[in-house]
Amino acid sequence: MRAEDCVLWGFAALFILIPLASFLVYGFFFVVDNSVVYRPTLANFAEILSNDSYRTTFFKTLRMALEVSAINLVLGYATAYFIWLRPPAWRNFLVIALAVPLLMSYIIKIYAMRGVLGTNGLLNSVLLALGIVDEPVSALLFNLTAVRITLSVVLLPFMVLPIYISLERIPNSVLNAAADLGAGELQTFARVILPLSLPGGIVGAMFTFVLASGDFLAPELVGGIEGFTYGRLIFSQFGLAFNWPLGAALSILLMIVALAVIYMARRLGNPRWQR
Amino acid sequence: MKRLRLLDVSLASVSFLVYLALYLPILLVFVLSFFSMRRGRVRWDTFSFEWYARLFSNESLGEALLNSIIVGITAIIAATVIATLAALHVNARPSSRSARMLEYVIFLPFLLPPIITGLSLLIYFREIGVSRGLATIIVGHAVFVLAIIYRIILTRLNSLSRSLVEAAQDLGASRLQTFRFIILPNLRMPLLTAGILAFALSFDETMITLFLAGTDGTLPVRLYAMMRVGFTPEINALITLILGFSIVLTVVFAFAWRRSGGIDNNRITRI
Repeated sequence: MRAEDCVLWGFAALFILIPLASFLVYGFFFVVDNSVVYRPTLANFAEILSNDSYRTTFFKTLRMALEVSAINLVLGYATAYFIWLRPPAWRNFLVIALAVPLLMSYIIKIYAMRGVLGTNGLLNSVLLALGIVDEPVSALLFNLTAVRITLSVVLLPFMVLPIYISLERIPNSVLNAAADLGAGELQTFARVILPLSLPGGIVGAMFTFVLASGDFLAPELVGGIEGFTYGRLIFSQFGLAFNWPLGAALSILLMIVALAVIYMARRLGNPRWQR
Repeated sequence: MKRLRLLDVSLASVSFLVYLALYLPILLVFVLSFFSMRRGRVRWDTFSFEWYARLFSNESLGEALLNSIIVGITAIIAATVIATLAALHVNARPSSRSARMLEYVIFLPFLLPPIITGLSLLIYFREIGVSRGLATIIVGHAVFVLAIIYRIILTRLNSLSRSLVEAAQDLGASRLQTFRFIILPNLRMPLLTAGILAFALSFDETMITLFLAGTDGTLPVRLYAMMRVGFTPEINALITLILGFSIVLTVVFAFAWRRSGGIDNNRITRI
């Protein structure tokens, strides 16, 4: 082995592989009197599977992440398609305008959503001014809907950008060929553009799902009691509850889901006729 | 034709709503950093810099900002060295199995939910007896931004003509000389781009940091603590300042990205 191999694999082992391995192993330990007992057991997993509130939280969170992905897929596709139809100068501007919020602090955006959704918030002021409601709606903040809306807004760029990139990759010749062969606008869209841009949508949905299902900041800041998600459950094990092995075991389940989704997205997003 | 019109209009309105949703919250915070609010209405007659003045007398925030900068710069230097080594390694032997394995490993902390990267490092550091502090945060950030820097540098390396390196070696340049005089000059823009992007990511990173921070946290961690306690208008002022900083970084980044060829390089190598 050469020196550079040693440095690279040394770094990878020390700061990526061994930490991940120790986290995986930790899920099989347990806690007695606030200290970790290093003896392997399946007790954590048995508890997670048998405990109703853990199970409910798990499925509630996955469902929420799925809903956010689905909503964003529709909104994101429409937006990406709109950008793609603009003249080039507009396109660049719109893409940059979409990327800018990605570089803005995540926590700040969540906080800002509070100002929009709150009882005194912007959305309520608008609804009141338009006469849609008579008094401020308090149901917009500190519940699961608030988490859905916030995550959806914050994660939108992760959906639009990959779809836009795959739309942009469609060669003009393919579109011309479709037109030459007599395909109408709708037919071209359904049989050429949509299948060719779907991989971008799948990548976007993957990002959205993985990020939404593991998030604990948005639920913590806008979710209230109803918005207690799986991410918060994990995080709480490392705070007050101080049960790191249980937290690790809970995360192992989350990681399995995330890896399965990433794997599925790779298969689906790279169909045989494109390989 | 008429149906198409309708489709155009609905596409445009959805896109408009998407952009509105992305920018409105931020705009609201900006406005509220100068005005006070009462009963859900902004009082336009109350323009002042009061919240900014209060902000500058808050010492813990200054400390947190300094921590953020120290963490960002250190993590990026470390990550850039490793990422460049890794990119050179993979570029030199693209079909080697160990090189592809290495690539997977580098991408893991970026692809997995941040909560998992954070808690695995937390457990690891506890087990080897390293207590939480700036050093642990730096490791977390370096690992997190590694994949981005690696990707940008590798893209540039792959677009470089192999004959350049071969010519240098034919003329008797050592490996180090080839790197110093042939490869490095070509990496200047990608390194700058990657560095700016990585700094922006590190500056905003919250989830991994929350696990790894001891008593001295970075700015987002401090913000998080403030937000949980409740609403203070100073936060709006602070956020406005951070956003201003982020926007400047983004503009610089976009400029650097364009000059370095951006996505175009990628497309050329694909064809």
